[in-house]
Amino acid sequence: MTAIPFIRLSRVELRKQVDTRAGLWLLVAIAIISAGLGVLTLVVADASSVTWTALTESASIGQLLLLPLIGVMAATSEWSARTALTTFTLEPRRTRVNLAKLTSASLLGVMVMVVTLAVTAVLNLIGILARNTDGSWSLDWGILAGMVLALVLLVWQGVAFGLAFLSTPIAIVAYLALPTIWAVLTVSIEALRGPAEWLDINQTLLTLMAGTTTGDGWAKLTVSVLVWIGIPLAVGLWRTARREP
Amino acid sequence: MITAEGLTKRYGKRTAVDNVSFTASPGRITGFLGPNGAGKSTTLRMLCGLATPTAGSATVLGVPFRSLENPGLQVGVLLDAGAQHHGRTGHEMLALSAQLMGLPTQRVDEVLELVSLTPREGRGRIRGYSLGMRQRLGLAHALLGDPSVLILDEPANGLDPAGIRWMRALLTSFAGAGGTVLLSSHLLLEVEAMADDLVIIGEGRVLAQGSAAEMLASTSIEDLFFTTTAQHGREDVTS
Repeated sequence: MTAIPFIRLSRVELRKQVDTRAGLWLLVAIAIISAGLGVLTLVVADASSVTWTALTESASIGQLLLLPLIGVMAATSEWSARTALTTFTLEPRRTRVNLAKLTSASLLGVMVMVVTLAVTAVLNLIGILARNTDGSWSLDWGILAGMVLALVLLVWQGVAFGLAFLSTPIAIVAYLALPTIWAVLTVSIEALRGPAEWLDINQTLLTLMAGTTTGDGWAKLTVSVLVWIGIPLAVGLWRTARREP
Repeated sequence: MITAEGLTKRYGKRTAVDNVSFTASPGRITGFLGPNGAGKSTTLRMLCGLATPTAGSATVLGVPFRSLENPGLQVGVLLDAGAQHHGRTGHEMLALSAQLMGLPTQRVDEVLELVSLTPREGRGRIRGYSLGMRQRLGLAHALLGDPSVLILDEPANGLDPAGIRWMRALLTSFAGAGGTVLLSSHLLLEVEAMADDLVIIGEGRVLAQGSAAEMLASTSIEDLFFTTTAQHGREDVTS
């Protein structure tokens, strides 16, 4: 007998993320929100500012908000639906399964971005023809790479929070609320402002998406990722390895 | 072949399984009996690597379950037919596992037919399945990878009489072809009809084990069960 190849494990995990109603409807919601925001930019924004890059930036908000929830559910549904029983009898190497969840969720993020680019290309063409927009086809690679990396990191954060809490509602609330609470605290408490630059993942990811991360910005990004993704992921891998389905 | 050696599981101060040792041999059906809370399910979970023993060890096909490569092709497991994502269809649930094991999708249709679930039922979401249908789906899942070992916790639960008869024939022929079957059940007469070996546990300990023929030579399975586990049916209490 040979081991289950990691690629195959990841493909099955990807399929599990989109073959339930919850997963499917989240994808539909992302498509509607992203397409809606792209169209809104096309119709409302100043014609001289409408470019492929600008359309892509606004159309990506849907997945940045909602795709991490698919990551959360990839981790939590094993326990809420008790499929962990099947999953871990077919692949007892549980950390390997979790790594496949991270890999497949990242792949889903990249695929969603590729689809977004295709849709915004069509919108850009419509803009050129119908509104005489700027319509520049030159992509800002700094922004694009920043958005893809930010999306992958947010999806990882979703998986990490899901693994750490192992409960869908608690993990989603924690994922949405904790970074925001921290951001609010750092604004209101003077002494936290220095550390906040290093520990506010919302801020470091915004800089990343703007394509303006430089020098110590990368160090700040790394530190915030270690805190907000690394720690919950480590806790989650540890809990998964020990928990009885 | 399944072996348990000194398997022990403690949760805090409570000892769920206490020094359990037995062997389930190829070509034989081993019935695993005991009242509710005796530690059957916990023992089966340890055999399948889902729970870590506090002490002792277990092997399936000569190695610890967690060391098996692609275990679905070697060991069929049904521990809880209810532990499925109710939003998936029966077919999709099997197709996911088939893909993971590296089997063609066609195998899904084969096992669905084997457990008498129609293609139409296979396309329905598990949410709408009766207990008996979930049990059949669970058995289909256990058989999917054409394993040589079956570990089944209460597989007859929820099956109708025809289903129980079908399962008995299936397991008997599985063992007849050299397979190892370990099954727990509360249906004593059903176990008597099938099992070659018996392991009876109570309060986490093995109370009796041996070949069914010898153990049942001079007593009925019910008398054996109740004297061994020192439990009495309600009729006995009132009479």
